[in-house]
Amino acid sequence: MAKDGDMSLFKDVIEPFRRAINTDPPKEASVKLNFSDNNQSLKEGLANLLSLGKRKSSIDPKDAATPEKRVRTDSNVSAPPSPWEAKRLKIDLIAAKAQIIKLEARVTHQHTIRKEMQILFEEEKASLIDQHKRDERALSDMEERLQLVRRREQELKDEYNQVLKEHRENKTNWDKEKCELNKQLAELKDKLLEANVSSKDQISEMKRDMDELLQALEGAQSEVEMLKKEVTKQTSRAEQCVSLKNQLEKQTFELQQVTNKLKELEYEKDSYKDWQQQAKTAQKRLTNMAELEKEVARLRATERSLRDAVCNKLLLEEQVHQLTSRVDALQPVQQELHEAKVKLASLESSLEEWQSAARAHGVEHARALAAALDSAFSSQLTATTASSDAQSQLAQLTEEIATVKYERDKANSKLNDLLTARKNQESLIHRLQKRLLLVTRERDSYRQQLDCFEKELTVTLCGETGVGSAALLSARVEQLEKSLQGYRDLLATHDQASHAKTVENLRAEVSKWRDEAESAKRDVLKLKTQRDALQAHIERIDAVTPQLQTKVLHLTDNPAAEAQKQVQSDLEAAQEEIKRLKAALREGGSRSCPEETQHLKQQLENSKIKLKRMKEEFTSSAQEYRDVCYMLLGYKIDRTGHKNYRISNMYAESADEYLTFTLCDDGIEMVHTEYSTSLTELVELHLHQHGSIPLFLSALTMDLFTKATIQPVE
Amino acid sequence: MSQQQTKNCITLRGSAQIICEYLKYAINSVLFQRGLYPPETFKAEQQYGITLLLSDDPQIKSFLTNLLTQSEEWIINKKVSKLSLVILNVANKETLECWDFNVQYEDGDVALSKEKNETVGSKDLKKIQQEIRDVMLQVAATISYLPFLDCRCSFDVLVHAKTDCDVPEKWAEAKPIAITNAQNVQLKMFSTSLHKMETVVSYKLVD
Repeated sequence: MAKDGDMSLFKDVIEPFRRAINTDPPKEASVKLNFSDNNQSLKEGLANLLSLGKRKSSIDPKDAATPEKRVRTDSNVSAPPSPWEAKRLKIDLIAAKAQIIKLEARVTHQHTIRKEMQILFEEEKASLIDQHKRDERALSDMEERLQLVRRREQELKDEYNQVLKEHRENKTNWDKEKCELNKQLAELKDKLLEANVSSKDQISEMKRDMDELLQALEGAQSEVEMLKKEVTKQTSRAEQCVSLKNQLEKQTFELQQVTNKLKELEYEKDSYKDWQQQAKTAQKRLTNMAELEKEVARLRATERSLRDAVCNKLLLEEQVHQLTSRVDALQPVQQELHEAKVKLASLESSLEEWQSAARAHGVEHARALAAALDSAFSSQLTATTASSDAQSQLAQLTEEIATVKYERDKANSKLNDLLTARKNQESLIHRLQKRLLLVTRERDSYRQQLDCFEKELTVTLCGETGVGSAALLSARVEQLEKSLQGYRDLLATHDQASHAKTVENLRAEVSKWRDEAESAKRDVLKLKTQRDALQAHIERIDAVTPQLQTKVLHLTDNPAAEAQKQVQSDLEAAQEEIKRLKAALREGGSRSCPEETQHLKQQLENSKIKLKRMKEEFTSSAQEYRDVCYMLLGYKIDRTGHKNYRISNMYAESADEYLTFTLCDDGIEMVHTEYSTSLTELVELHLHQHGSIPLFLSALTMDLFTKATIQPVE
Repeated sequence: MSQQQTKNCITLRGSAQIICEYLKYAINSVLFQRGLYPPETFKAEQQYGITLLLSDDPQIKSFLTNLLTQSEEWIINKKVSKLSLVILNVANKETLECWDFNVQYEDGDVALSKEKNETVGSKDLKKIQQEIRDVMLQVAATISYLPFLDCRCSFDVLVHAKTDCDVPEKWAEAKPIAITNAQNVQLKMFSTSLHKMETVVSYKLVD
């Protein structure tokens, strides 16, 4: 805006100059105006000016060229100018001088303008400087601003970077997540597919099931309907049954009531009977009272007598006690007496033995016996000494015998040795004799040889006749042969001597082998005979059964075939029966033989009835027995458990008054009860002293009876 | 009963009758001794000087008469070489015992035959019966070593006839029997001078 302002101002300033220039165009304005500032508007203005200037300058070179031409003309005009030319030149000169003057005026004018312009320009310049300064300030402000803006920008850039980073990070994260999610998606898709497939299958199955179920449902519904119908029927029946049951219950209740009443009545009847009986007994007793009184008197008398007797008995008991003690004291004494008697008898017998022995030895008295004994002792002593001597001698002699025996053994062994040595020597001698024989033979042969040689020598010495020499040679040959034979014999004997043992061994072996061979031969013979026998047997069999020549015939209705047929038929019958029975079994055993089952059922029922009757009979008889026992003995006996019995008296005051007994191996024992503790007197008297349970019980009965019958009277 | 025409003269038919009689008694004896039928179905009979037992069962009786009449014919015609009494286990048809009666044909008294113009023998009948008695006693004694028959058994008689023999009515060909691991016991033989009878029992040896 400022610039625009400036520019308008500048245009306003420039406008008059332009007019001026347009009117009289300055020649060097362009040059002089060239110094103007670098302002763009100015330049534009100047460019216009310059274009004008150039237009002028296009004229200028003509102007400039003219002087040069003139110069040249000056230099080149050496020839005398023509008058026209001179005139013309003079016009030109005047015109030029006028132009110069004009131009000089213009220059001056231009100078003034320039000065004015310079002033203007300076003013303008100052204003422009101010403007510039202002601009600079504005610029600096702007720069500051710019910096600020840049800082902000930097900050923003940093922020942007951070944000970018974050964004990238987030992006990477998201990418990852995306990948994962994609994977999950893929998986889910797979699963979805699978699920779809499975669901389809399931759906088809379910459909099938549903169809089946629907069918079943239909069937069930039909059944339900059927059942409902039946239920209605059954409910009607059940109602009938309930009504019947109610009636039955009522009847049973009534029956029970009736039976209860009956029982009560029976009980009352029983009690009444008891009372009647009691009354009868009481009456009888009352009638018997006088007799009883008499009896009481009699019994009192007897009691007195018995008391006396008891006193006497006590006295007697004391006496008995004394006597028993005495007897006890006397018994060991008696025993001692017996022992002494026995001893005495034994001693007497021994004495008699002694005496008899003494008598046998001819001694009558004890002294004589002692003397005889002494003499006997002395004689024995001498005898013993003599015997010991004899024994020692015997020992000596046995020792001597032993030594002699030993020596004899030695001698025997020596003898044996000598014998063996002799045998060896004999064999040696034998051998030596043999050797001697051999040696003598050798010697003989040598001698013969020697003789031969001598003869030869003599023959050779005597003369050399042809025939004699031949005979001699033959004789010599014979001799030599003989000697050879002799050597051979010798060799043979030597061989025999050396190989005798081996030969013997070989012989033994040979004999063994021969035996074996013989045995083998015998075996062979045996086997041959066996073989022959077997062959004969085979031949015989072959002869007997010439199967090729015979055919086997038999009767068609033979017993074997019949038996076979029978077995077959039996088997078939059995199998058929099995089948039948199996079928029957499958159908059910009851149907197979209804008669039998009926029979059995009847039997069962009969036996049940029998059992029932027997039970009734038993219970009734047991009750009867118990009642009879109660009536006769006055005690009701109850079995409370294994071997435990509880008895309660007829006249007991309450139900708690009972006694218990247990059956033991050695009888029956009473068990203490509350009631039994109250009966100490009776227990002491009858159980402990008399040891009799029946007595105790009858006493108790008496006691209770008296209590029960007398008290009401009182 | 043996047919005796004259003293010490036995015809071929008579000899065959003796043989068949022997067979009847021998088979009955075996059936009794081996306990194939209950002992109460047998009745005693005096024969050959000893007491022998014959079955009273009509079936066995008829079977034996049928068998022996036919066999007699065959023996006269020399068609039979052997008769076998086979004892079988009914359950599995296994052969347990076999009594072979081998028949051999002899010439008899040649001179007497020429004279009579038929084949006859001249052996004393008492001697023949003596021999048969010995064999029967042996048969009775076999029970001591033959194995016990502890199963349901039955018997059959196989006739080993010559191949050119016709098969009459009620007869059929049978298979020859064989006993595995058999033990043979030869009993005494007897001869009527026309026929020689050899009795062999073979039984399964139980190990």
